[in-house]
Amino acid sequence: MPAIVGVGYSGFNANTPDLSWKEIMYEAAVRAYEDAGIDPRKDVDSFITCAEDFYEGFAIFDEFVPDQLGAVLKPTCTVCADFLYGLATAYMQIESGLAEIAVVEAHSKASDIKTFGEVIRHAMDPIWLKGVTNAHPYYLAALEMSYYMNKYCITQEAIAEVVVKNKRNALLNDSAPYGAKLTVEYALKSPFVFYPMRKIEIAERADGAIVFVVASDEMARKITDSPVWIKGVGWWSETSNYDIMSFEARYAYKSAKMAYRMAGIENPSKEIDIAEIDDRFAFKEIQHIVALQLAGKYDVCDLMSEGYFARNGSLPVNVSGGNLGVGNLLEATGGQKALEIVIQLRGEAGRRQVDCEIGVAQAWRYIPTASGAVAVFGV
Amino acid sequence: MIEKIVDPEKMRHFPPKGGKIELYWVYTSGRAGEEFFRKLREGKFIAAKCKKCGHRYFPPRIYCEFDFSETEFYEITGEGCVEAFTVATLDLNEEPMEEVIAMIKLDNTDGKIIHVIKDAKEVCIGMKVRPVLRRPEEMKGNISDIAYYKPV
Repeated sequence: MPAIVGVGYSGFNANTPDLSWKEIMYEAAVRAYEDAGIDPRKDVDSFITCAEDFYEGFAIFDEFVPDQLGAVLKPTCTVCADFLYGLATAYMQIESGLAEIAVVEAHSKASDIKTFGEVIRHAMDPIWLKGVTNAHPYYLAALEMSYYMNKYCITQEAIAEVVVKNKRNALLNDSAPYGAKLTVEYALKSPFVFYPMRKIEIAERADGAIVFVVASDEMARKITDSPVWIKGVGWWSETSNYDIMSFEARYAYKSAKMAYRMAGIENPSKEIDIAEIDDRFAFKEIQHIVALQLAGKYDVCDLMSEGYFARNGSLPVNVSGGNLGVGNLLEATGGQKALEIVIQLRGEAGRRQVDCEIGVAQAWRYIPTASGAVAVFGV
Repeated sequence: MIEKIVDPEKMRHFPPKGGKIELYWVYTSGRAGEEFFRKLREGKFIAAKCKKCGHRYFPPRIYCEFDFSETEFYEITGEGCVEAFTVATLDLNEEPMEEVIAMIKLDNTDGKIIHVIKDAKEVCIGMKVRPVLRRPEEMKGNISDIAYYKPV
């Protein structure tokens, strides 16, 4: 099976006034190639980037790619989705024999976006949804939260615990700009900006880039002593229509099922040692934990309060700090999650190291979607 | 330190030159959309029912997403029950505003509408609401032809 043989990243920062979006990609790429010990001009067969034109601020993003990755005059393509979809694409290219070494990249230069609310609103259905209100599209996540909390009796306290845990985890991650030592009482005093959602439950945006070097089984064994195997990948979309969406992350449940099946995982809550999951709104962590079958929907709040998902708990979730600690990295979100799992599985996580052999990374395609992807890694 | 500067312009004395994309589209509302907004002008609401499985869609559409077969339009009241709601206090540019927005399960359908709620002292899940339409001469053939929802 294909393996990760090199990782590099740039960031993560609330702001990157010194480097352009191309330069953060370049920085991450140079680090990844150094980590893998390869020369991109000679050794790489395929380059895959993940980007969404509206986040970039210009059209036909794939035309802007080759130079900063060392990919000029080489096969490149752009996947209009999260990093984990790009990883799945690399997996398929390698397994099909099209490439022996493939590179996957995703980035966020969120600080360049002056009208984030407008960009997200342009993703809404132009006939039935876009014209309803001038409220920030965060309202859509708040509606989902209202529905989900009411249906499964999710408590405000459990959601506050997610914020406290992740921001605290981020304090041990030098690359996480939004770390903080808070109490649940403090989090519960944060104002309701989109009742029932509090300001502190919304991940702030961040800049950064992630590059992975992926190699075939045979090539991985040749170039590294510490490959991290991609045991399974999965992706799934519900629908674009809000009347059919589950509002309970069925996209995550199904994409995890797909990845678990490939990885031969039958009992995720017992077999998975560490998880990095999408928490761009704090309630989403709880919803995604359930969707990934890491806990039952009626147990999840108690487990969260008991510290079951803490860094030293039975099943650590978002040890990196998650999006609440690292930031909303747009299409690079799944990249940061996969990066943390790879660093942890390699035993290179330093002060936040967790004992683990199997890890899962999951990302959602953000509001207003019901789509997402999952990858399972192992050593 | 919890709040950080996210906007690079706020870090500079001379702000970098911004760019803007000024583009315009005509969004075709399609057969189902046209039918809906035309009927709305007569004060009527329509939904669409799958001829095969019977799923009752709102917003109406011409095909069923479950079994990929055709639908037929039928009339509904447009009334429904609040299934989820939020009180939005930030607008698109993160400036203050206040508006109640709800996801409303529409009666006699399996569908929903997301819309603004006004004239309500209190909003709760399960509350019965009805649409308030713009005057026919003010209608533009888009979702704002439904001005808002209010308690029954």
